[in-house]
Parts: sequence; C-alpha cells; structure tokens
Amino acid sequence: MSVLKLENVEYSYDNGKTKVLENINYEFEKGKVYAVVGKSGAGKTTLLSLLSGLTVPTKGKILFEQKDVSKIDRYRYRSRFVGVVFQSYNLLPHLTAMENVVLSMDVSGKKIGNKKAKAMELLHKVDLSDDLAKRRILKLSGGEQQRVAIARALSYDADIILADEPTGNLDISTQDEIINIFKKLAEKENKCVIIVSHSPEVAKNVDEIYKLAPYKNEGKIS
Amino acid sequence: MKYNMTIKKKELIDLYVIKNALKSISRSKGRNILIGIIIVVIAISSCVSLSIKNAADTAQQEGINEINITGQITLDRQKLMQQAQASGNADFRTLMQTFTEPTFEDLMKYSKAKSVKGFNYSMTSSVSKSGALEPVDTSSSTTTTTNNMQNFRDFGPQGGMGSQGDFTITGYSSYSAMSSFVSGQSKITSGIIFDENTSDKVCIINSELATLNNINVNDKITLANPNVETETYEFTVVGFYTVTSTNTETNNMRFSTSQDPANQIYTSYNTLKAVMDASISVAETSTDDNGITNTTALRNQVSGTYIFADATSFEAFKIEAKALGLSDNYSVNSGDVANYEASLIPLKNLSDFATTLLLIVLLIGGIILIVFNMFNIRERKFEVGVLTAIGMKKGKVALQFICELFIVTFLAITIGTIAGSVISVPTANSMLKAQVDAQQNQATQQDRNFGRPNQMQNIPQGEIMGGNFFDRFGGQAANYISDINAAINIKVLLQLLGIGILLTIISSLAAVVFVLRYEPLKILSERT
Repeated sequence: MSVLKLENVEYSYDNGKTKVLENINYEFEKGKVYAVVGKSGAGKTTLLSLLSGLTVPTKGKILFEQKDVSKIDRYRYRSRFVGVVFQSYNLLPHLTAMENVVLSMDVSGKKIGNKKAKAMELLHKVDLSDDLAKRRILKLSGGEQQRVAIARALSYDADIILADEPTGNLDISTQDEIINIFKKLAEKENKCVIIVSHSPEVAKNVDEIYKLAPYKNEGKIS
Repeated sequence: MKYNMTIKKKELIDLYVIKNALKSISRSKGRNILIGIIIVVIAISSCVSLSIKNAADTAQQEGINEINITGQITLDRQKLMQQAQASGNADFRTLMQTFTEPTFEDLMKYSKAKSVKGFNYSMTSSVSKSGALEPVDTSSSTTTTTNNMQNFRDFGPQGGMGSQGDFTITGYSSYSAMSSFVSGQSKITSGIIFDENTSDKVCIINSELATLNNINVNDKITLANPNVETETYEFTVVGFYTVTSTNTETNNMRFSTSQDPANQIYTSYNTLKAVMDASISVAETSTDDNGITNTTALRNQVSGTYIFADATSFEAFKIEAKALGLSDNYSVNSGDVANYEASLIPLKNLSDFATTLLLIVLLIGGIILIVFNMFNIRERKFEVGVLTAIGMKKGKVALQFICELFIVTFLAITIGTIAGSVISVPTANSMLKAQVDAQQNQATQQDRNFGRPNQMQNIPQGEIMGGNFFDRFGGQAANYISDINAAINIKVLLQLLGIGILLTIISSLAAVVFVLRYEPLKILSERT
C-alpha cells in the first residue's frame, strides 16, 4: 500500500500562467528507494516541494496515508512524517551541525531519549567527526553541510525521506555511502526514500525511477 | 543504539523555543548588544524619571499629611463687594459696617466641630501713649528689624473706625497662639513671658520700645484709650522680646505708629478681656444719623485660629462650619495650604519634567526599537524560512523572537535599573536644586524689579539650602522642599517591569507581523 500517492497533480505559477507540472500520478511505498529524474526545469524541485508539503498542487491531490496533504496540518506533516534534504541544505548558520540536527528533533515534538547522542551518531553515520559536528555551519564545506542536512532529515525517524540532489557535492565513495544509508533505511527501517536527482549513479542504485519532463509525465520507467 | 520516539504531550511553551532563543542571543552578540544598549538607555531614563516622579508625588502627599494646618474664619469682603456692585450699592463702607467679624462666641461654637484638632484665639486692640511713654516712630527710616504681618487691623465694624492709637496690644489665649514665638521669629531677650492664663495686667514689649523709653523689666507702663485720653490702664512689663528675621513688608508706608512692629505689646487674653470689660463699663454711647451706635470704649477684634490635623480635616471643617450656622458672608481660609502648595512648585515642576521625559524616552525608544526590529527580522528571513520548512509553526517562530527580545529587554532593564538606582537620587536632588534655584532667582529678580532689597542676602546660607523663602504677595514663608528620596522602590520596579513588557510587545509586533507574512517556500526559493 502506498504511503504517498499523487493523483492528477498539476502545479503552476503566476495564477496558472506558468505551468510546471501536469497530470502527475505517482505512488510511493514504504521500504523502497525512488528516484525522480529529469532535466533542469523539469519541475523536480517543485515536485519535492509538493511532496514535502511546502506548497500544495493547483490541481489534483497528494495523499499521505490516504489523507489529502493540503487538508492536514502541513507543519506537523513536515516536522514528523517527512524528512527533507534540501538542495541548498537550508541549515541555520548560527548553530553547529549537531545543534541543527537536535533542533529538528525538538521541532518534531517526538520524545527522543538522548538527542545529542543520537545527533552525534547520525553525524558519524554520514562521516562527520566529533570536531566537525561541533562546528557552526558556516565553518563547514558544502559537502559537509550536505551531510548535516541528511543527518537532520533522518533525525526524527520520519516515514518518508525526500532528498533533492543529496549527493551533488559529494565524492564518489561518499555518494555510495549515502546511497547505501538510504537503501538501508528503506530495507531495514521500512522508510520510503524519494531522491530527486539527475545523477545516473543515483538512478542505478534505486528500486524505482520516475522521469519528469516539462509539461510531460513519462511515468515509471523501471 | 535504540531510541524511543513517542509523541510528547503538548506544553504551553516548548522549552526548545526558549533554548533556541538563548542560543540565538549568544550567537548574535552584536545585534543583541545594540538592542540592549537602546533598552538600557530607555531603562535608565525611565528609572530616573519614575523615581523622581514617585518621590516627588510621595513627598507632596506626605508633606500635606504632615503639616498642621491652621485656618481662620473671616468676613468675605470680596464677596460682599461683588454683592454691593451687583445690587448697585456704591457705598461699600456703609455696607461693611452692617457686617461684623465673627464674635468670640461664634468662633467658640465652630471650634466644637469634629474636624478641629485645636483652637487658639486672640484679642487685639489699639491703645495710646500716656505719660512719658513714647512709641517707636520709624516712619522716616528705611530700616526695620522686625517682622509681623498681623499688625494692621481694621477695628471698624464695632461702631465706626474710632481713633487709632499709638500701640497695638494683643492678648493671646495660649502660648501656642503666639505663632511668631512658636516659629522662632520672636524671642524673649530679657525677663520672662507672662502666664498664658493670667488676668494680672502684665505684658511683654519690644526691646526697641524698652530702649527708647528706658524701661526695665518689672517697670510699669501706662496705656490710654485713644477715644478717652483720661481712661488709662497700667501694665507691668515682665519681659522684652526681639524679632530675629526680616521682612521687606515692614518697609511699607504706615498710617499709624501702632502698625510699627516695635510698638506691639503682648499680653494674655484674660488680661486684655478684663481691660475691655472695664472700658465698656465706663464707656459713653451715642447713635448717629445712620442708626449706627458709636462708643468710647476701646475697640477690639477677636480672631480665632483653628488647628487641623490635615488638609482633609480643613476641607471637612468648611462644611461643618456651614452646618453649624456659618453665614455665606464668611469664609474659612488657610494660608498654610496655599503656602505649602507654593512650596511644592519646584517639586511639581520636577514631577512634570520627569513625566515628560519618560513619555519622550518611551516614544523615541519605542520607535527606534520597532524600526530596528523590522530590519532585524528582514535579516533573519532565511532563519524564518528554514524553521518553518522543518515544520516549526509560525507562531512558535514568532514566540522565539519574542522570547529573545524579552530576555534581552529583561537583562537590559535590570542593568538599567541598577544604573538608574545609583544615579536617580543625586540626579533628582540636583534637578530639584536647579528648580529651587530657578524659583529663587525668579523671586530675586522680582525684588530687583520692585527695587526691594534682596532678602535672600540676609538669610543664612543654611536656610537658603533649606528653602526658606517668602512669597511676596501672600506675606507667608514658602519652604521649598529641596531634598527628596528618589530611591527605587517596589512601585518603581513594577513600573519598570511594565515598561519592559510594553517595549517587548511593541517591538515584537514587527517580528510577529513579518513572521506571519513570510512563506517558507518563497523565502527559500528566493535564496536559492
């Protein structure tokens, strides 16, 4: 059964003048890793914004566990059920890497035993040392920031992990490591991982791929 | 490691909001120090203003509660004059002769009012020289050494004006009625004071008069009825007195030597009453064409002084006296209240200044804080976007910003209050001294304008600092309050706390409005 389902989703800017997505019908299940691929301007990031509840479709529905996302508390949805790795990381610069991760746990409202220990474990998992974990965001490289963003998305045990180009700034070996983390999350923790990427390496390692083209939905291709 | 994740119970304010606010404050020191400095300045100004205002108000209230207020019942001449003009009766003097000052019996009747704490009375008469006794006549002199504003009396209402004598003799019911001796303006320099209840013919005279006539203590002097020179009364002089302070009013033109302060003779009420009774018993009476009875008896005027515990009692007495039958033609007056109010002018000016300063500081400070916070929130737009993107509700984001402002405001107000408490007392007293000086300079300038000598030069420095000063037109001493206790008290602290909350709310409004307007996707996409 799908955890997330898109039904005839359409999205446009400027009061319908600029259409980005049309007639999207995707289904995502727990325990699988998905890739949404497409060229620049295909609407990948817009689709991720819709899936994360940052915005709502101009037409159609996005159903999270059968409930229309546009009709539920989207703050609650974002803070508890969806973990997002933004393309530009969107980390708070005045906080350290660990504090950014802990903050997400706080915002989720979930009772988590030892937040700092869990944050540190997650940061270790994405190959960040203790020293880096205690640095403020601006003192980390792009790749390091991306890893912090991934750790943050995993921090509150969300059902769905959304990642926008999560390996964009990582070297090949780390890319593999990150993909492996996502795969383990899907397999062992029954998460639904959706990766928006144009990287062929990513596409090779996922369970299912959706291809997006401007104004054209090519649907599931593998 | 296993982590137990369950949904927390809803709390009023999530602790992480406060924790995050504290982190934000500690990580953005420059911004918060700037806000803090603005609020410290506001807090110091507010603290000093509120302390001054509260101290001034307290001193004013305590002062009015503490002073013993005295009052008199007198004929309301102004009202009678207005009535005469309204009725077309131009002969005011004739009209006045139909009214008399309240009788001794009436004065005693009103003294029974509940609001009256004490009652003193005195009788004053004008008598002439007899034998070798000569009055002090300084009408050609410009220097005098005594001060007594009570010396001019109109003895008219009881059967015409009569003849004016050379001396004024006053009989007091008690020592406390002798206000110039109570205040220390007059002092016995030789001999003793008469017994307040005596009816023996004993008196005290001014030492100047004694020197002029070469009188010694226990000598006898003879005084005559100005209407009948052969009607004489012999008094034993038991003491001399001098008046220590000066008043330029004594330089005014006098119509009779009896108005000269040196020609004031004091005795007991009983003594003078006995003299009056004796004079009435030998007096001849006649009635003129207007039907007014004239008498050769010594003229006298009885005046009563009511003592009240406080200003409220004085106000209550006005109503009680009317209830006891006091006619509308008489009024109850007190120089003390007016005098005390005059003494409060610098204090009131200071209080007004403090209030104005407080309002200006709050207005300007509030505007600066709002503008600063508007820019501040604009700069933190990205933070708002990130927090809302990870699911933090806008209300909580706004609450975090409010917490930050509240914490900074609270710290700044604490620092401002400590600094304010240190400087408020000296500042208040320095400002009050400036106000007192300004009032004194104004009065001195008036002296110069009128060509009068500057009496401040004759007052010892200590008295100037104490604010002993004279109201020229009322003839009463206005003791300016020159020292107040502007220390911080719980009331000021609560007011400062109120100001802190008010400033936080005002400056937070900008934050709340901006946060509520922002959409996370828009903010983040703009940044991307």
